[in-house]
Amino acid sequence: METNQVRKLLTSGKLSDESFLTLFMIGVLVVVFGIACIVVPNFYQPQNMINLITNNWFVIILGIGVTFLLITGNFDMSVGGVIALTGVLSVYFCQGANVSQNALANGLGLPYGVAIGLTLLCAAGVGAINAFFIAGLKVPSIIVTLGTMMLTRGVAQVITQGAQRNTSLPDAFGVLGNLSISGTSIKLSVLVMLALIIIAFIFEKKTVAGRRTYLIGANPEAARLSGINVSRHLTALYIFSALLAGITGVLLASEYKSGMSGMATGYEFDALVIALLGGVSIAGGFGSVLGMFVGAIILSVVTSSATGLLLSPDWQFTLKGIVTFMAILAQRFALDKRKG
Amino acid sequence: MAGIIFSKEHNDVNTLKVESLRQQAEPSSSTRSIVKQVYIYVVLLLIVAAFSVMKLDEVSLFGRGSFLSPDSIINLLRSAVPILTLSGAFTLLMISGYIDLSVGSAMSLSAVVFSWMVLNGVSYLPALLVTLVVGIGMGCLNGLLVMRLRITPVIATLVTLNLFKGLALLIVPDGLSAIKSGVDNPMPSWINDFARKDVLGGLPWAFYIALLVIAVLVITQRKTILGKYAAAIGGNRVAAELSGINAVKMVWVLYIVVGLFAALAGVARASYMSLGDPLSGDAMELNCIIAVLLGGTAFSGGEGSVAKTVVGALIIMCVTTGLMTVIPAYWQTVAKGSVLLIAVVLNHLLVRDRLKA
Repeated sequence: METNQVRKLLTSGKLSDESFLTLFMIGVLVVVFGIACIVVPNFYQPQNMINLITNNWFVIILGIGVTFLLITGNFDMSVGGVIALTGVLSVYFCQGANVSQNALANGLGLPYGVAIGLTLLCAAGVGAINAFFIAGLKVPSIIVTLGTMMLTRGVAQVITQGAQRNTSLPDAFGVLGNLSISGTSIKLSVLVMLALIIIAFIFEKKTVAGRRTYLIGANPEAARLSGINVSRHLTALYIFSALLAGITGVLLASEYKSGMSGMATGYEFDALVIALLGGVSIAGGFGSVLGMFVGAIILSVVTSSATGLLLSPDWQFTLKGIVTFMAILAQRFALDKRKG
Repeated sequence: MAGIIFSKEHNDVNTLKVESLRQQAEPSSSTRSIVKQVYIYVVLLLIVAAFSVMKLDEVSLFGRGSFLSPDSIINLLRSAVPILTLSGAFTLLMISGYIDLSVGSAMSLSAVVFSWMVLNGVSYLPALLVTLVVGIGMGCLNGLLVMRLRITPVIATLVTLNLFKGLALLIVPDGLSAIKSGVDNPMPSWINDFARKDVLGGLPWAFYIALLVIAVLVITQRKTILGKYAAAIGGNRVAAELSGINAVKMVWVLYIVVGLFAALAGVARASYMSLGDPLSGDAMELNCIIAVLLGGTAFSGGEGSVAKTVVGALIIMCVTTGLMTVIPAYWQTVAKGSVLLIAVVLNHLLVRDRLKA
């Protein structure tokens, strides 16, 4: 990685590796999209193209947090669990208190605003637990976040007794997730996603903290010696990532008017895959939110054309695996070629 | 000690020696090392004791009588066969500083492949051999991705996790949840023999083979070059390679061993349930990680013990089967997640201090 940085400085007139890779993946996207248009009937229709982005807003929001953490060389596998937990919690906080004999219909009866606030607080708490183990005790992030993945989903299962909560909810609960721009299928959630992408892009390119993220990933020891408080930075990123998952969980629960303990299973893997497709390197110090966004659309093209070709849903796992490997190898090959 | 007085030039080295001697002599340090040696056995005993005093009689899920009745012990050991088979090899891999998150899916895929063959009239031995070859193939693939193509172990094996799971789901016909007896195509009843038929003391072949696997791996770790090399690679890969160890080959072999035993565990699971469930191995990687951490293997590799991992595996089995009897099933996940984080803390307290000293 250090040699990369040096090379970047030496060749400052040329395109940086990062922009090169993003352009490369946009090229891949165009090719994949072209193939899909030829092979899959009706793929090129405008509504379908819009759906490619709008149907994946939740994974893209998760991808923002996961991308920044990957750039620092850390994983967050707990995001799927956090979605389930926050979805269930937001429902539990809103359900009327003592309204029914059924334990699953009784909640705390809080107003919606307070419920969302508390839910996001809990999400931040999960992020803080992750950060405590990873930044404080220096435990590998994969082990810790797999543990909190089980913990969060487990708590969601306990609150819903392994099923879901969807009764005695106030009308206000279903509004946020189902708001859409009049006349289109674009939902509030999609606008939230776009806003977050723009904020993340500015954070990544224009702020000191954003640039420090790269330095930490490239060489944590050098970052520490140059006066960056690495553990505080990691803590902030983990809380940020959990908060994004919390926002997603609240929006999804509102969309379905239900808190399901099995929601968002495997989303942590999807978020990781789109970050990798977008050229984020786990070795740290490399990648971008824009690349992740391109990666998300590539994955979306691949999975929706599989559905369009009437392949069984069981193909999704295998397809994602193969696409990811091809992307990793293609990116490495492209970068090696570039370096000569 | 004489060195300090007589030779000035070796002063530094000798000070270091004295320092380490003093640390060994310090009571706190020796207590800690004793605690580190025995704590896992104490934890196991405490858990068994705790469940034994609970009243389990009314619960039908878990045999008859108490936690310590022969029935329940046999039940527990029989259901522990997959993790016992697998966790030893997993430990060796972790000692060398690498990880394989795909073991659960590898197990599922093997279970599906094995039961598919049995259902379609292949006899026992060929089906077993083909499944083991599939397991070796999966290990080879992981080794190729991690060691030759140099993809980060976590990423590579997470992707193969989904790949193997996807393949297992694809083999199972649409509309069915598992490879199982159909109306016109019943599963031969002998599929059960391996993991359920009483061979000795109420325990089946699968259990004794798991014991054999553990014994072989304990000896491998303690007495053979492979065990020493694994620790050397985990301690410092560059130094290990400079001293002539072919790290790529060694770790690749370990990945293959893990794949092989994942396949064996899958066969045991398929035989135990008499069906090939493409989700049967889910979360096995987490169980293995918990067992390895409880057993005191360092996160980053370099030191660890196969034997203690086995004790760790027994602890998980006791906790999960024991909890099943006293709390509703939907508490399982949260319990397991808590055990993992507790194991992380215990491991942190015990292993890290040792490294510092």
